[in-house]
Amino acid sequence: MASLISCPHCGTRPKEEFSIRGAVVARPQPGAKEDAWYRYVFIRDNPKGRYQEYWHHAAGCRRFLVVDRDNLTHEVFAVTDATEFAKNAEVAR
Amino acid sequence: MTSYRLDSGGLVNRSYALTFSFDGKSFKGLDGDTVASALLANDQMLMGRSFKYHRPRGPVTAGSSEPNALVTIGSGARNEPNVRATVAELYAGLTAVSQNRWPSLSFDMGSVNSLLSPLLGAGFYYKTFMWPAKFWEWVYEPVIRRAAGLGKMVMEADPDRYEKSWAHCDLLVVGAGPAGLMAALTAARSGVRVILADEGFRFGGSLLSENLNIGGVSAADYATGLIAELASLPNVTLMPRTTVFGWYDDMVFGAVERVQKHVASPSPDLAVERLWRIVAKRAILASGAEERPLVFGGNDKPGVMTAGAVRTYLNRYSVAVGSKVAVFTNGGSGYRTAADLAARGVEIAAIVDARAASEDVVPAGVRVIRNGAVVATKGRKRIDGLVVERAGFQEEISCDALAMAGGWSPIVHLMCQRGQKPVWSEEKQAFMAPDVGSAFVAAGSAAGTDTVSAALRDGAAKASAFARDLGFAAYEANIPDVEGEYDASFAPLWYVPGAKDKAFVDFQNDVHVSDLGIAQREAFRHIEHTKRYTTAGMATDQGKLGNVNTIGIVAGMRGVSPAEIGTTTFRPFYTPVSFGALAGASRGEHAAPTRTSPLHGWAKKNGATFVEAGLWYRSSWFPKEGEKTWRDSVDREVRNVRENAGLCDVSTLGKIEIFGANAGEFLDRIYSNGFLKLPVGKARYGLMLREDGMVFDDGTTSRLGPNHYVLTTTTAYATEVMTHLEFASQTLWPDLDVCFTSVSDQWAQMSLAGPKARAIMSRIVEDDISDAAFPFLAARTVTLRGGLAARLFRISFSGELAYELAVPAGYGEAVADAIMEAGREDGICAYGVEALNVLRVEKGFVTHSEIDGRATADDLGYGKMMGMNKPDFIGKHLSTRFGLTAADRLQLVGLKPIEADKEFKAGAHLLKENAAPSMASDQGFVSSVCYSPTLGHYIGLAMLKSGRERIGERIIVWDGLRNSEVPAEVCAPVFVDPGNTKLNV
Amino acid sequence: MALTLLHRHVLDDHISGFETNANPNHLSVFRRPVIFSVLAKVGQERAVGAALEAAADIAVRTCAPGEWLAVSQTSGSETVAGQLSAIVDASSVDQSDGKVLLTVSGPSVRKILAKCVAVDLHPDAFADGHSTNMLIGHVTGNLARTGADRFEIIVPRSFAGSVFEELMEMGREFALTAAFAGD
Repeated sequence: MASLISCPHCGTRPKEEFSIRGAVVARPQPGAKEDAWYRYVFIRDNPKGRYQEYWHHAAGCRRFLVVDRDNLTHEVFAVTDATEFAKNAEVAR
Repeated sequence: MTSYRLDSGGLVNRSYALTFSFDGKSFKGLDGDTVASALLANDQMLMGRSFKYHRPRGPVTAGSSEPNALVTIGSGARNEPNVRATVAELYAGLTAVSQNRWPSLSFDMGSVNSLLSPLLGAGFYYKTFMWPAKFWEWVYEPVIRRAAGLGKMVMEADPDRYEKSWAHCDLLVVGAGPAGLMAALTAARSGVRVILADEGFRFGGSLLSENLNIGGVSAADYATGLIAELASLPNVTLMPRTTVFGWYDDMVFGAVERVQKHVASPSPDLAVERLWRIVAKRAILASGAEERPLVFGGNDKPGVMTAGAVRTYLNRYSVAVGSKVAVFTNGGSGYRTAADLAARGVEIAAIVDARAASEDVVPAGVRVIRNGAVVATKGRKRIDGLVVERAGFQEEISCDALAMAGGWSPIVHLMCQRGQKPVWSEEKQAFMAPDVGSAFVAAGSAAGTDTVSAALRDGAAKASAFARDLGFAAYEANIPDVEGEYDASFAPLWYVPGAKDKAFVDFQNDVHVSDLGIAQREAFRHIEHTKRYTTAGMATDQGKLGNVNTIGIVAGMRGVSPAEIGTTTFRPFYTPVSFGALAGASRGEHAAPTRTSPLHGWAKKNGATFVEAGLWYRSSWFPKEGEKTWRDSVDREVRNVRENAGLCDVSTLGKIEIFGANAGEFLDRIYSNGFLKLPVGKARYGLMLREDGMVFDDGTTSRLGPNHYVLTTTTAYATEVMTHLEFASQTLWPDLDVCFTSVSDQWAQMSLAGPKARAIMSRIVEDDISDAAFPFLAARTVTLRGGLAARLFRISFSGELAYELAVPAGYGEAVADAIMEAGREDGICAYGVEALNVLRVEKGFVTHSEIDGRATADDLGYGKMMGMNKPDFIGKHLSTRFGLTAADRLQLVGLKPIEADKEFKAGAHLLKENAAPSMASDQGFVSSVCYSPTLGHYIGLAMLKSGRERIGERIIVWDGLRNSEVPAEVCAPVFVDPGNTKLNV
Repeated sequence: MALTLLHRHVLDDHISGFETNANPNHLSVFRRPVIFSVLAKVGQERAVGAALEAAADIAVRTCAPGEWLAVSQTSGSETVAGQLSAIVDASSVDQSDGKVLLTVSGPSVRKILAKCVAVDLHPDAFADGHSTNMLIGHVTGNLARTGADRFEIIVPRSFAGSVFEELMEMGREFALTAAFAGD
């Protein structure tokens, strides 16, 4: 019937406004070996539980968001703009 | 006919009689009745037949858990089966029909199933009718289907309107009984935004059914006062006739409101049902408790109902369910029913109490049989007596109704719909609501309170806690004294053993105690297995009444606590929801949005036949007088474009406006071919890949300024490409100075193609568009005669001299009209997407028929468009991986039939000559086919193994679906003007 | 030869022009509003947003971080284009023909819109002047509150017919009328 995601830009919205775009995986550097590219494109962990996925707010701000949630209980831990998320990840690295 | 309506009292409007019919017979009820209460008032206890054994049945409840009294209401297309008569609001002109009987309710042939019942026990259809296997489909199943079942569907379209709506609140209160009303009012007085929903047509819950005095007034009047205050508050939304049927993620509740189910002719301006999605910060479940039936032999006969239901019919509807009523109880509820009936002058046959002793007040002159049990009932269409057993002695007692009180089960379904299971309480001998976190709690008897005053206090306390929690000043409710409460406690009695007749646990599915025993013996012991094997708890009522007894009995058989058995899984919907409500307004023309091009009006004027392409309506071809088939029109359009000129609507292409100092760099990484050096004023064909190396989309991108581009996509991939660019700019390269937005709807875009295109376009555009001034792939802003600014692109999808002209959408139709007028002397025609397709196949241009997600750039003959010198672009890195560079990959080729009059179709496969027609010898497939009026025969594009090396080879086009084999010659994919002599003029 | 080109509104086919007087619940369609998409250079979203807010006779509708619609009912297209091109680090593109602007107003407006949008439109949650992109029926559009009982909707032109019909259907219960503004 419904799930709600709180977009950091638009507020709380129903899942119908979003398009789930898969696991958040960093793109390899252009010079990376083929194996790295292979993993980036084809290999996913598919965990049961906490998972970070791209949710594209297709019917809202059209930003890519990183939704950090439990795919079993649908508990959402955080929703971050993907650009912001990448910057934070870089800082953490 | 005896009237069971009492002379006074009740919450029915005696000055407003309603005429209705049941099984064709006319009855009179009162405003405020349900169908069941009105039928009972008219001595119509028999209301249906059971599912399997076709046993006569009457109502066993007065509410939404009713398993027996299912009727079909309405006629014609408004025929609605399986409506519970116990909640169906009576209206003048209502027609109700009983179900699952033939030829009539009182004489039902199907009841012979009762005689076959030894064969029809639990799991019967898994064991019986197994042989011969063929008989299942032809004999057994049709017979069983006719014999078993509930109501029948009509095949007419539903004439009524439905809709969906969202609602938002701080606090949702589910159930408007004492706890719910008090919770809603307490929160509302604090300023909380409250929604109060109740499935009934009148708020009040048990306050409408119980004979109590609250603060000096009757319980019903007290409820009326609370409701009046709630109705006066602006922050309160009252939703009667609304069942909250589901609890979903993130505190979203699903509810269905029966807006016009209680009127004979619904208004066409209103929905008959409205589906609500209610977003609540907090919620209180005040859904009350269900009284459990007792399980004894013959407990399903008409006239046997729960003690609480008897009180509801008596106190709310002023209907005595019988003239001499017996009571079988294991707690205080039975005594209260006897007292209420006695007070209204109804004779009490006896109170049979399973317990040895109790402190309940016995009405004067009423016999109590302690340590007693009902072991059988007499009568068929209505009971006329009981057999009571005590200390080994049996006694017959005559009566015409039996009130049974088996204890209480809190109604906790909603709180268990997201995975949590209810929790068994030894103290309450019931399953209680689980802890589901701090935002959703149960209150009142749903939380196990025993009295109305406790329910009122509990509702108030939980509401004020939520109000504080939400930052509102808490309001301390003033709870008045409640006089006349009774002790609702009970001692568990799961079933009365030793019954000769069936002792039913699940009335709707005809599951009796021995069925549960079979399931245990045959190892279907897990409660979920027991459910499926016996069907206990299935069908429309999902075991609301029977499940707890099922669990208790199974626990008893296994010698464990009900806690160890646990419950089956609770899922939405709490009660059945119509498909109409779930679909809402999304049907017919509202099922999906449609998109119309700015040239839609122009196409219509020119007689277009439209085709749905995704959400778009596109002009497909433009038939002229005398043309008999679509091919006649398309062939003419194609010839005319090749000989003169044609105008085609290409507005549906995706258009993305791109800005920024790094826009060129961005495009260079998006496309496989280079874009850094694209000059201002020029268009370039570009190929986008997916990261896995496959081609994703194609189109032209034009540079309008140093930092300004406009990119076009195919119609089908407009949204996907936009998303792709957003993904790239936001997640891959957020540091690039680039920004973009879709301008797809801003421009009406039309393609003018053909040898006379320039002559015609010159009459429209002021600028010099000679080949020298405006060569192939020029892309510039131009001025139309009269001053309108437009964008002109010299690009071609047909191989002809062609221009695409983009004008602001509102002018599209006028400009297209002007071009048609300007081209009249040159024989211009309108052409549609069918001709567009023929023109591009003739020229060997690809679309998503070829770009099907499996083709690389090289497969399509675009190997030179792979800018492998660029450091990075999407798809580069995996484009050279194993398999993508294999010599036997499928490559784009052309096909023409050896015999010119032969036809083949897209989707056909390719075989070597003399190869067996099987996928084992598959050489590729045909991607696009058309009849080429230019060449006078069919042509095709195909993906063929090592195709480019096989030009000139004879091959078989094998169409396994149509069982045809057509010999064809492999050729280059460009059929018309391979030297581009027509393009560069 | 000078072309005389008639400008057509996409809803011309949907609104007869013979409506009776507007009811309390009414939908108005604006024929030729000026609407531009404005995009901020990455990192300059705040500055561009502030400059946009300061621009005269332009109503600003928020689409996304760094993306707005600049709407004007009073200025001409060139004026607005000029104002926008003066904003540093902003790019803008005319969408006046690509978007359809309508307003829905009246005492039942929230009940009508609740059937079309999932967003809470209570004034405490969606104040006057607030605007955002959202799903309106089946279509993505921009919704703004422009008064206590008045909302503005901007949707892509190709979808406008569907959105209009959907709004009218949802407004039937409340006798919603429709007309071009000023007609």
